[in-house]
Amino acid sequence: MQVSASMAARSYGAARPLTSPEAEAAGSPASAGARLAGDFAQVLQRAETTAQQAMTGDADPHALVASLSEAQLAVETAVAVRDKVVEAYLEILRMPV
Amino acid sequence: MSTLTDTLALAASGMRAQAQRLRHVSENIANADTPGYHRKFIDFRPAAIAGDAFGQESGVTPGPVRLDRGELTRIYDPGHILADETGHYEGSNVDLMVEIADAREAQRSYEANLRMFDQARQMSQSLIGLLRR
Repeated sequence: MQVSASMAARSYGAARPLTSPEAEAAGSPASAGARLAGDFAQVLQRAETTAQQAMTGDADPHALVASLSEAQLAVETAVAVRDKVVEAYLEILRMPV
Repeated sequence: MSTLTDTLALAASGMRAQAQRLRHVSENIANADTPGYHRKFIDFRPAAIAGDAFGQESGVTPGPVRLDRGELTRIYDPGHILADETGHYEGSNVDLMVEIADAREAQRSYEANLRMFDQARQMSQSLIGLLRR
């Protein structure tokens, strides 16, 4: 099969948009990750505020327990996701090239 | 917020309401011998919880304190400083039996809410535990 230079250039040109990174869309993984991190920080912040209020006697123990459990679950989720990400990264590193 | 964290908040609102109820029961028992004391009680009403996913009043909150308009017991004690010409004075209308039953009911409801709280937490934990394997 004969491949002319112009045809090869056209094929390369057609393939290039597929591999180039797209502009950040609203539902892209990066923005979802940022929103998740924001939510996580918010949960921790709320737990901290409630704990401080409970120590000074402004919040009742029920609110303290509820927000601390919520924070505990959020931290456990974050740790589990982080472990998965690190595991996947190590898997890629071990890949024979 | 997820459904399970909503469950946590709902159970916490129930526990708070029952604790408030127990507080009024103990107030009544403390004042059982106070002359002219009317028994206090509260009723519960639905309330919105923080971060409610369904946008409706699904939690519970204690309503305003109300006084029992029942008749005060008349106690015969001519030597009492509040006694009228017949030798009676008005005590409280607190019935200890009712108060103890109310306290026990508050305790049972509190335990039920506590159980729900624990259940929701365990469910979330085992769900997240799946990621760790």
